[in-house]
Amino acid sequence: MSDDAVAVSAWRSGRRGLRDSVSLAVGYAPIAFSFGVISVQAGLSPWQAVAISLLVFAGASQFVMVAMMAAGSGGLTVLSAVVMMNLRHLFYGPALATRLTSMPRRLAPWLAFGLTDEVFATAMAKGASRPLAPAWCLGLAAGAYLAWVGGTALGAGVGAGWASDGGYVAQALDFVLPALFLALLAQAWRRARWPVVAVAAGATLLGMVWWPGHVAMLVGMLAGAAVGSRRPRPACSEEATI
Amino acid sequence: MTWWSIVVAAGLGTFLIRYLPLLSGTRLARGEGWLSRFLGALGLAAIAALIVLSMSDLWWQAPHWRGGVRLALGAAAVLLVQRLTPNVGLATLVGAGVYGAAGGFLAE
Repeated sequence: MSDDAVAVSAWRSGRRGLRDSVSLAVGYAPIAFSFGVISVQAGLSPWQAVAISLLVFAGASQFVMVAMMAAGSGGLTVLSAVVMMNLRHLFYGPALATRLTSMPRRLAPWLAFGLTDEVFATAMAKGASRPLAPAWCLGLAAGAYLAWVGGTALGAGVGAGWASDGGYVAQALDFVLPALFLALLAQAWRRARWPVVAVAAGATLLGMVWWPGHVAMLVGMLAGAAVGSRRPRPACSEEATI
Repeated sequence: MTWWSIVVAAGLGTFLIRYLPLLSGTRLARGEGWLSRFLGALGLAAIAALIVLSMSDLWWQAPHWRGGVRLALGAAAVLLVQRLTPNVGLATLVGAGVYGAAGGFLAE
């Protein structure tokens, strides 16, 4: 393939990834909005809230970060909490790499920056049936990032004076992320993989009795993957690529 | 530490946690051993763990049978639509819509 053809193909994959990020963005926007509102209520200026979303881009740990800073915790304490909460991301990159058609080194930093829980889950669900183009992953992450930063800006700018009425839309938005994960599970589901799902879900549920959610999730994820590693990987079509 | 240095360090730390393993993962991805199978199963395991985490958050907001019914109806709607049309976005939105509407029907 000529360089031009490669560029056109990458551009198409990127646009497809951006389009596929819509459901993810719908789930992200309300959470980012809440983050903007909470940050301003915690005493940050709107641009400080947006700066955190721009630079950190790590959902739950941003909420913890703002709460700890507002409580007057020291810098190293805040940093330790953020790092501990995001340790599970250590495993995302290698897992994603197993599904990529290639890993251009110049794209790796951008792919890594956008590798949140939701982007990873969406990419792995798609990647269960076909190899992923790096440009598609970039498009997906870009859509999620725009929704995250945009939602934060909106929440920080106008959210402080906006009170949720707990109405139909607000309640529906509460379920967007669980619904997205369920749809992704249904998409990635293979009958032979049920032990992975059962062990991961069971270990997470059990872990939540003793540990905070992010630790329980890490334990559940590793337990499920350990069960999966004892079985051969299901075949993945090499012809079709997104 | 200043406010800015905390935010920049948090961003850098999060980035490195994601970036450094991604580089080594490119080598691991070529393998066929235990580690490669482990990484291959990690995506599905993470999705399952995220479902449990996000659903239990919602459950504990209102731990009542009505909350359980709403969650079940929303989940059923997602799975039904995903089965009929392989469209993740549509399944997500219909599931969220059913969950929101169920809140109105099941209100005391």
